[in-house]
Amino acid sequence: MLIWEAVYRIGFWPPYLFPSPWEVVKALFWGFQDRTFLLGTLVSVRRILIGYTVSLLFGVTLGLLVGRFKTLDETVGSLMTGLQVLPSICWLPLAILWFGLSEQAIQFVVIMGAFLSIAIATDSGIKNIPPLYIRAAETMGVKGIKLYIRVILPAALPSIATGMKLGWSFAWRSLMAGELLFVSIGLGHLLQVGRELNDMPQVMAVMLLIVSVGLLFDRLLFARFEKRLRQLWGVAA
Amino acid sequence: MSKNFMQLSIEGLSKDFDTPHGKVLALDNISIQINSGEFVCFVGPSGCGKTTLLNMIAGLERPTRGQIKKNGVPVTTPGIDRVVIFQESALFPWLNVIQNVEFGLVGRLEARKRKEIARALLHLVHLGRFEKAYVHQLSGGMKSRVAIARALALNPSVLLMDEPFAALDAQTRDLLHEEIQEIWAKSNQTVIFITHNVREAVRLGSRVFVFTARPGQIKKEFQIDLPRPRDINSQEVVVYAQQIQQELKEEIEKFLKEEVDREWTLKKADFLRPAGVDLGSGI
Ligand SMILES: Nc1ncnc2c1ncn2[C@@H]1O[C@H](COP(=O)(O)OP(=O)(O)OP(=O)(O)O)[C@@H](O)[C@H]1O
Ligand SMILES: [Mg+2]
Repeated sequence: MLIWEAVYRIGFWPPYLFPSPWEVVKALFWGFQDRTFLLGTLVSVRRILIGYTVSLLFGVTLGLLVGRFKTLDETVGSLMTGLQVLPSICWLPLAILWFGLSEQAIQFVVIMGAFLSIAIATDSGIKNIPPLYIRAAETMGVKGIKLYIRVILPAALPSIATGMKLGWSFAWRSLMAGELLFVSIGLGHLLQVGRELNDMPQVMAVMLLIVSVGLLFDRLLFARFEKRLRQLWGVAA
Repeated sequence: MSKNFMQLSIEGLSKDFDTPHGKVLALDNISIQINSGEFVCFVGPSGCGKTTLLNMIAGLERPTRGQIKKNGVPVTTPGIDRVVIFQESALFPWLNVIQNVEFGLVGRLEARKRKEIARALLHLVHLGRFEKAYVHQLSGGMKSRVAIARALALNPSVLLMDEPFAALDAQTRDLLHEEIQEIWAKSNQTVIFITHNVREAVRLGSRVFVFTARPGQIKKEFQIDLPRPRDINSQEVVVYAQQIQQELKEEIEKFLKEEVDREWTLKKADFLRPAGVDLGSGI
């Protein structure tokens, strides 16, 4: 903050390109005062919660299936790795053609951004389970679907958690990218509005919000979850 | 049940493994008869097929030739009458101690009954106070104890132990020897116990089988006629151990020689492989 203020004071850039922290705080305040920031945040959070939940369900299911069935692995598995290279925003044109300028189109982009990385992590988690766990379970009479639920899924959990975390950040980025290009009320859109109005303090204030929301979930949810898992698995946190 | 009832019968058992370098014969024509309630130890050089044999008795792997019968019935699948305790204890880190012990009972008994059995077993292995602990909070010896309790929970008639104490220090191991002997003496269980530690085999076993280097065959069988409990440092144990060690030594030398030879050929093969063959693979 101090450095920021100092750079601002030096006056290297004109104030309309490089606002002081104080301006940004004011923009934040006014944004929340007239409810646009609050609304934008709520809309974006709602979107990501929906998109992420769907991604999680799809991703883990697909990962489990691909990890289990060899034929699926050889077909869908390599497709997954291939498609993951594609930045998720590249799905937007396709999504718009399929769904029109609708909520579904944005959701589609979010899901494409998140679910592949979750599926890939789940799949690799399953492939890397120590065979000893499975043998131990078998010798104690556990097999079939029960083996899946009681051993394979929990044993793959650390890897799934990493995928979930990665998936979250992909989902959040995809959502912001989608909202930027899209007329809606989310945070990404507020960023775009700020640009159109040449309102640098608002642009920066919204960026701050985006980072905060992303970090909040990351710290509150995933970091704790991961730490707990690492503890259980005996890896030093 | 009479002590001399023939329970496990291993008949002409062989096992091949398919590897990239062709077929590997791991076990060659093994025949062993084991009575109910016996404590049998297997010793042999590394790679001679002891674990493979144990896994086949457990039903985790299928023999290539020959068969295993338990009470006259061929063994084809895993079953809770034959539970394995693995070297690395193979406890589940996502469960706490008592949940690990209960693991095999879930779906077989109601929760209250399960807890009761698990608690009793944890007391038996002196871990009564640790039922809520997680695996990463336990020492190596405690993990072995939990693994033993977990196997005993299913009350198997045959207990298969694959170097269960190999990773422990001498004091802890000594303690566990006492405990496992006590448990075994009270039960009617048959134990098959793999170890590299010859004295451990003599201390625990009623019979000790020495295996040849791969392909594993039975080289010699020792009947250990010593009163129990046995002291690992007693004169009698040491004498038996020396005899067994003598048999083992030849085989280990054979094994080492083969291993070194193979390493040499592998190195040569590496050297001869044309460069760049691997480019593009794995895409
Ligand atoms: N799944 C497998 N595929 C191919 N070869 C195998 C497989 N499992 C075991 N082998 C080979 O079979 C032989 C016997 O292995 P095994 O693990 O039974 O030996 P072991 O006597 O238990 O050795 P150690 O004392 O080192 O544990 C070894 O040469 C091993 O390389
Ligand atoms: Mg072994």
